[in-house]
Amino acid sequence: MKFTYQWLLQHLETEKSPEQIGDALTNLGLELENFTDYSSYSKFVVATIVDFKKHPNADRLNICQVDNGGEKQFQVICGAPNVKKGLKGIFATDGMYIPGTDITLKKGKIRGEISEGMMLSERELELSDDHDGIIEITNDFSNGTDAVTALGLNDPIFEIGITPNRGDCLGVRGIARDLAAKNIGKLKALDFNKINDLQFESPINWSIAKDNNNCDYVVSRYFKNVSNSKSPEWLQKRLLSIGLRPINALVDITNYITVDLGRPLHVFDADKVGSSLSMKLASAKDKILALDNKEYQLDATTTIIADEKNPLAIAGVIGGLESGCTETTKNVFLEVALFEPSKVAKVGRKLGINSDARYRFERGLDKAMVEEGLEYASFLINQLCGGEVSKNISAGKLIFENIKILYEFNFFQKIIGIELSQEDQINILNKLSFKVEDVNDDNCLVTVPSWRNDIQKPIDLIEEIIRVFGYDNIKVSKPKATSEELNNVKSSLNNKKNQIIKKLKRSLIANNYNEIITFSFHSSDAHKFLQGDKSLMLTNGISEEHAFMRNSMLYNHLEALEVNRKKGNKNLNIFEIGPIYNTSTSQENILFGLSSRLDLLNKKTPLPKYDFYSLTREVAIFLNTLNFDIKQFNINRAQNSHYHPGQSAELHMGKKLIARYGKVHPIILENFPKLSNSYSFEIYFENLPIDSMIRKNNIKIQESDFQYSEKDFSFIFAKEQNLYEVYRVLTGIDKKLIRQVEFFDEYLSPEIGEENKSITFKITIQSSEKTLDEKDLEQLHQNIIDKISNKFQAKLRS
Amino acid sequence: MDIQQVLKEAKKAIESCESQQQLQDVKVAYLGKKGKVTGLLKLLKDFTLEEKKSKGAEINSIKVELEELIEKEQAILKTKDINSKLSNEFIDISFPPSSQSEAKVHPISKTFDEVISIFASMGYSVAEGPDIESDFYNFTALNIPEDHPAREMQDTFYIEDKDDNDLPMVLRTHTSPVQIRTMINQKPPIKIIAPGRTYRCDSDATHSPMFHQVEGLFINESANMSDLKGTLIEFCEKFFEVQNLKVRFRPSYFPFTEPSAEMDIAYSIINNELRIGEGDKWLEILGCGMVNPVVLENCKIDSSNFQGFAFGVGLDRITMLKHGLKDIRAFFSGSINWTSKNGFGLGNY
Repeated sequence: MKFTYQWLLQHLETEKSPEQIGDALTNLGLELENFTDYSSYSKFVVATIVDFKKHPNADRLNICQVDNGGEKQFQVICGAPNVKKGLKGIFATDGMYIPGTDITLKKGKIRGEISEGMMLSERELELSDDHDGIIEITNDFSNGTDAVTALGLNDPIFEIGITPNRGDCLGVRGIARDLAAKNIGKLKALDFNKINDLQFESPINWSIAKDNNNCDYVVSRYFKNVSNSKSPEWLQKRLLSIGLRPINALVDITNYITVDLGRPLHVFDADKVGSSLSMKLASAKDKILALDNKEYQLDATTTIIADEKNPLAIAGVIGGLESGCTETTKNVFLEVALFEPSKVAKVGRKLGINSDARYRFERGLDKAMVEEGLEYASFLINQLCGGEVSKNISAGKLIFENIKILYEFNFFQKIIGIELSQEDQINILNKLSFKVEDVNDDNCLVTVPSWRNDIQKPIDLIEEIIRVFGYDNIKVSKPKATSEELNNVKSSLNNKKNQIIKKLKRSLIANNYNEIITFSFHSSDAHKFLQGDKSLMLTNGISEEHAFMRNSMLYNHLEALEVNRKKGNKNLNIFEIGPIYNTSTSQENILFGLSSRLDLLNKKTPLPKYDFYSLTREVAIFLNTLNFDIKQFNINRAQNSHYHPGQSAELHMGKKLIARYGKVHPIILENFPKLSNSYSFEIYFENLPIDSMIRKNNIKIQESDFQYSEKDFSFIFAKEQNLYEVYRVLTGIDKKLIRQVEFFDEYLSPEIGEENKSITFKITIQSSEKTLDEKDLEQLHQNIIDKISNKFQAKLRS
Repeated sequence: MDIQQVLKEAKKAIESCESQQQLQDVKVAYLGKKGKVTGLLKLLKDFTLEEKKSKGAEINSIKVELEELIEKEQAILKTKDINSKLSNEFIDISFPPSSQSEAKVHPISKTFDEVISIFASMGYSVAEGPDIESDFYNFTALNIPEDHPAREMQDTFYIEDKDDNDLPMVLRTHTSPVQIRTMINQKPPIKIIAPGRTYRCDSDATHSPMFHQVEGLFINESANMSDLKGTLIEFCEKFFEVQNLKVRFRPSYFPFTEPSAEMDIAYSIINNELRIGEGDKWLEILGCGMVNPVVLENCKIDSSNFQGFAFGVGLDRITMLKHGLKDIRAFFSGSINWTSKNGFGLGNY
């Protein structure tokens, strides 16, 4: 919402400066978003180019002699194409700051010729983007007149943000009213006269169809024999100052009242409409060419204003082009109506029309202002365009009842935490035009003014009182955390989960994985490309990039890695802890990592080759960070199209998926030619018990000073034998004696059978009670051989 | 028998040894069973008792002397051997290691961590909820009915699926639905923060369709606006590590709070650098207010007995302010170089 200082003063009698008013607006909740004040331009003055000649060393420059009304003339080097003798412009001399170029002028030579100042363009004064030439003043200002006066810049512009509840401040008058309540001035009475001699019946009639359209009430007057033309200068200037284009007096009056009173109204050229107008729902056949020069297809959810034949306007939103007023308009039909806010909002949103009228109607208008709007518009039309005015013609009923609220005074202190006397509270309410009655020690009855339809409950009144009293006056109290609250924090599963996530992230960076954050979306490409993808579609994704919800992070990370590789990064390890979505009600937060390493050129100190087993080692480290040993999970080949079927695994605990990791499927990598040899992993840490993950130390190592012994075993197993199972059986044979089991060789050969593998592992044996003798060891060895042979149909290799 | 002659010979032989093996040979040649010194002892049998005593003592003394000498020489030769072996094992110690910078976490992770622990110290537990929400939790329960202009303030992503009330599911536009879920499932007192991902249909230089928010909620019998002010000032002072932070509370409007406020913090720009906490310019930092009684009632909390406040902070925004980052889009670019430059390593995360 934009308005100027002078415009405000039309409604508000005040001594306050524009700056003070700006602060007060913000403190009232009408946030000052922009303030444009040109008063500092008074140092620039009108000056005339009395003579000029070509610059000897530069084709496009001229040496001008400038008269600024002072005792001496100035020499100015100027490159503007519109330099001419007698041109009157705006002059800045050395030492002055030029806002548009952010430069302070200094006296100096330009190509060898002295320049003592500058003739300014509009861009240099930040008045517009125009830099085609210097400003030319056509009015009769004498040299030395300050630029503020000469350019008419003496009216600072306010731009404020209006929250959706404050429809009453979408007019300058409403803003003035709020400022008056904050003691910034006194609200003036509206300055116009009612027209008393309404001479004739309107030849155009109104009706409101009973079809559930959004109009409650409409009132009109007919103006005969007006003469429309350009608006007077004061009106044009007002509109221009807030960025509205003047059109003709009749249209300008309606635009002016829309901003001045926050009351939208409409004028039809009475000769272009029928004699019987109605408010009704449109039909699916209806179309209208609107004032924005666009044609809109209508339907039965849209209320229109129509004559016997055609739609004339979309009610509360926009007028029709064909029935609008032009400079040739002779007879005018003025319409002032009330529409249901939510329905106006719906229609406006559906058709995508953001008009000044919709903006106001959908926030709810002051119902009591229908008549004021009608009278003020009549007065201005009559004053600017002459003509005769008809009696009122209306349809529907103008009903409104002021809301009454029972308000308890001590509610204020309960909510705000500071004391404010009954008198002070009543005083503020009164200043905001709330009527306060039936006052007793505890409560009172408050009547809400007609323009504040947002105020309905006691809490709304609290907000009004504190808003005017000032948020700055609320004291600061810092509540101390209670021990109960601190205990809740300590036992909160979510707080623990965040500690676990932090622990994981530390482990990841320690192992050289960089964290990235990618969008929770899948692009259309990702969806197309990850075949069989069942990701959720967005109804209104803003682009192809955000068309679906991701059900995996693989694609986003491959895309990210590809970009990084293109920037020249060689070894790429990234991770993200974030959500994936399978259905709209199932979201899992997982750790996802992707690694793509190039063989480095460094032959002198080569890194070990990265393969599935390197990845397994990393996954084991991350699981270890969560206090879990990878070998305790059930391991299976991953049945997942993202992975190489022979080099990927899934870990489960019971039925719960804990991790999936492996080489990315080569088919997928075909789309990412720079990322061959990529490995990824997913850890579903939310499926692990939180308390186990958070425990400080899960590993029990028994210290023993007795001698240990090592023994290697080779067994022939079936090729698909799961060695994690073998491991678990081995460690379970004698928990007191078997300290470590290390698998260290695999041997494949036809001699042991194609369907078999020979696996060698080393067992470390140690007692914490004694040094084991040959017999003890022999017994344990035999036990191992028996258990493994029987359990896995394995054969000991001699 | 010339004992001294043998000693002299032996000394010469020891001195001339160049390896431990030679020295061993010398040792055998003099002190071995058939060595010259041993030979001298054997000759003693032909002497008188007197002579046996004196010659015997002399021979023993040169034996001791030679043993000592050999031991000394042995140590010298061993050192020489090791040194000569090591001299063949010299490598180029200046061959540079392959360059790899330290891996880091995203600045948002650091902020999450700080925000959670600051609020933990103030008694706020973390609460969570899903990103894909029903219309009820994201809007209706928060007093944002259909067609309310406030719905236009936050343009919403919708999902093709419908919720229980046959309304389209939404991507939560704030983490407020977590507050609703908590209030419905838990009796007051309630003191929570809800950090997480949030979504709005905005994408330009200063808006990202996905961003992060933390919201807080404190409900009991008496939490009031003075407490709200103190809580938020304390949080900002701790987060921005500024004492006596200059702040401003402005009236604002949110359907779910009343009275509502926005909090600004003062800043200035000194030498092209943003200084937070002092100066005469204002930065909008968060929205807050007293929970609207309508919202409490929507969650079946008796608003005549309970009251409290809520607030919401953009985590990306405060991260950018604290660490001087300019472009929110870079947060989600996936660039490792960006993380390396702006992220946090093991030393400070």
